[in-house]
Amino acid sequence: MKYVINYYWGLLFILLFCACKPKFTKEEVSKGEINPTRFVMIGGGHTAGYMDDALYNEGQENSLANLISKQLALVGGEQTFNQALVSPNSVGIGLSGSARFILGFKTDCKGVEALSPLRISSAGDASILSVNTYNSMQTFQNFGIPGLKLNNVSTPNYGSINPFFGRMASSTTTTVLSDALASEPTFFSVFLGIEDVLDFAKSGGTDDNMPTVSAFENDYTEVVESLLNNGAKGVLAKIPDITKMPYFTTIPWNGLSLDEENSISLNNFYNQLGYSFQIGINPFMIVDSSANIFPVRQILENELFLLSLPLDSVKCHKMGTLFPIRDEFVLDLNELQTLRNRIAGYNGVISSLATQYGLAIVNSDSFFANLNDGFIYNGVSMSAKFVSGGAYSLDGIHFNAKGNALLANEFLKSINQKYNSRIPLLNANSYDGIYFP
Amino acid sequence: MYRFLFTYLFCASFLEFSAQGFQVNFQGQKQQGMGFAGTAIFQDASSIFYNAGSIAFSNENSVNVSVTPIFANVLYVDSATGGAYRTENPVGTPFCAYGLFQHKKNAKFKFGFGIYTPFGSTVQWEDNWIGRFAITRLKLQAIYIQPTISYRLSKKIGIGGGFIYSKGSVNLQKDIPVQDSLGNYSHVELNGKAAGFGFNLGVNFQINDKISLGLSYRSKIKMNVKQGEADFSVPSSLASNFPNGYFSGTLPLPDVATIGFAYKTSPKCTFVLDINHVGWKSYDTLAFDYEENTTSLVDTKSPRNYKNIIAFRAGAEYKVSEVLSLRCGGGFGFTPVQDGYLTPETPDANRIYGTLGISYRFTNRFSMDASLYYTHLKRAGRNIETNLNGTFTTKALAPGFSIIYNW
Repeated sequence: MKYVINYYWGLLFILLFCACKPKFTKEEVSKGEINPTRFVMIGGGHTAGYMDDALYNEGQENSLANLISKQLALVGGEQTFNQALVSPNSVGIGLSGSARFILGFKTDCKGVEALSPLRISSAGDASILSVNTYNSMQTFQNFGIPGLKLNNVSTPNYGSINPFFGRMASSTTTTVLSDALASEPTFFSVFLGIEDVLDFAKSGGTDDNMPTVSAFENDYTEVVESLLNNGAKGVLAKIPDITKMPYFTTIPWNGLSLDEENSISLNNFYNQLGYSFQIGINPFMIVDSSANIFPVRQILENELFLLSLPLDSVKCHKMGTLFPIRDEFVLDLNELQTLRNRIAGYNGVISSLATQYGLAIVNSDSFFANLNDGFIYNGVSMSAKFVSGGAYSLDGIHFNAKGNALLANEFLKSINQKYNSRIPLLNANSYDGIYFP
Repeated sequence: MYRFLFTYLFCASFLEFSAQGFQVNFQGQKQQGMGFAGTAIFQDASSIFYNAGSIAFSNENSVNVSVTPIFANVLYVDSATGGAYRTENPVGTPFCAYGLFQHKKNAKFKFGFGIYTPFGSTVQWEDNWIGRFAITRLKLQAIYIQPTISYRLSKKIGIGGGFIYSKGSVNLQKDIPVQDSLGNYSHVELNGKAAGFGFNLGVNFQINDKISLGLSYRSKIKMNVKQGEADFSVPSSLASNFPNGYFSGTLPLPDVATIGFAYKTSPKCTFVLDINHVGWKSYDTLAFDYEENTTSLVDTKSPRNYKNIIAFRAGAEYKVSEVLSLRCGGGFGFTPVQDGYLTPETPDANRIYGTLGISYRFTNRFSMDASLYYTHLKRAGRNIETNLNGTFTTKALAPGFSIIYNW
């Protein structure tokens, strides 16, 4: 009997070691109809890895373009993707010259301490913009350039206008498009247009230099046709409704909370203009030149305040009440209509070009809209809420690494669908969000 | 004067947990060897679990101690990324111990006492796995203690019943998608103890020398966690959003009704068949009630929507000699987990399994049993709550041993 038991034990251990682990067979991947060898992407700050209102190393490592290239590498793309990287220790620099944001504690004018985006350093790292990083042996592939508008893609000497291109340009006279073409893409992506509407939105509609839809069509067609010239395939992306970004949605229109005394004094002041206030929440007062004999009115629901609004002035110095909030901090209904119509016009152009040239198209507008509604991704609630939503960086306009990974997946899905490829998606949960103190 | 409505809300559903932990049937080596069937016949003291009525036909005092280490591993392959993640489960050790007594030979009354673990599991996923914000670890334990009395009504009918006191514990851990200043994710650990009451009834009919029939019922038990402890590791700036404190919740352990048949083709050879009905429908929601709620920490209600299931279990026993018996069996069970509700804590699927068993009697008083169980499960799906979408493959192997002493 002893032998039986010994035999049983022996058999048992063989079984335990062989039989007990489910076998993993890797799923097939495939490049489908594309040649992923050399990937080049053209876009603005969202493509560059600009986040927390600055270009800095970690952001670039997690740029939309770099994340897409990582997955293309799984189906035969080059293992390296050349970007004009900033030094890892740099505080970065933003379009306004500031250093990147981090989340920290800020004490407001009332002495209340709260979590708030703070600059990691009092000034940005200007050396980033003064040193040219071009290397003819390793031409760049990420032409995501903060501030790059569509109509600047073919502008000569653009490097002297926009130092974010100047730092990576092959020469002072070159254009973004010719440098991109010199990189000889076999597969490309274009995510242009956001920067073209962002100035208008960020200025509260005061700075209208948005191209007409027909100018947009001419410029976009030129970019696409040039990239197609040497037989490359590519993916275009639509422009999201940027007014749904946290920069425009965080400060509530009716965030004016009044007690009895203050509501009475405001009513005494404004009732003669036809505006009244109640105890509790109220709309703020804004400047509107067409509103009245006095160019002020209450903000309407669906009109938006910008995150640039000086909140201490609002909290402690009667901004939004006795001193109405200036136009540069407000997107009113007309401005929103203008902006959204223009974006819709641009998107019509992008869609029809994609169809015309047989290119993949990313419905990034619906992805951003889904994010506004909120969705659950592998157990994590994602939304477009500032800080807590999980996808946006601290500037409220650009994504953090996690958001970029989610958006990169939308690009990959479109490529897979259009070109019958099987490129695996990214696990967005393995990318960083905002760090809390 | 002006109050701003800045809130830092976090996902409302970040705390949820499931607790099916699969039903564990390792309560007797002889039945395990025969596909977990044995409701219609008296096997040994472990029949206290399978059918309290059948022990009326015993004629012995005995004790039976049994353990069945479970080696179970789960592989998850994410459908979007193709990434593979595994569990690092510790070996589960369901045990049971039974005592069976009569005050004189051939007494009509029998007394029994059983301690067993019919529900429980530990699922431990590898670090940084893709579903870490749904679950990283779940350990469930439920121990049933069952004093039992059985009475032989006639030569053909035995009845029995037992009172069950159940004691259990739950330990649930998951990461929270909030990073500290070094990038580490936050974490929560829920620890709770629970207790509940129920009963076990059984009837055994010896229809003739060859055929017997058994019916048994084990009641549902509501396990109430009253003062569970919730322990959060979060960045200090969010500590007030996630206060450590108490939580309460209820976990229903379902009722099981069984009809069993046995057929003796010869004195050496017995075939058995059991059909279980398990009332998993009672597990429709998993709710957590936190004593202190904040904007980030709200009470949760996760739909589980389990359905009642049936399972078929069959086996055979062959007595090679007076001292040696061999067994084999197998079964099929439907899963209570409906499409859309597949979770990484219970990656359940319809299951087919096979078992083997052996007994050896060393002396008149002392014998040993052993059994071996193997199953392989595979199921793909998207969970409607977490949107985890992938394929779970489970392999489980459970060798079991018992020592029996009778007098």
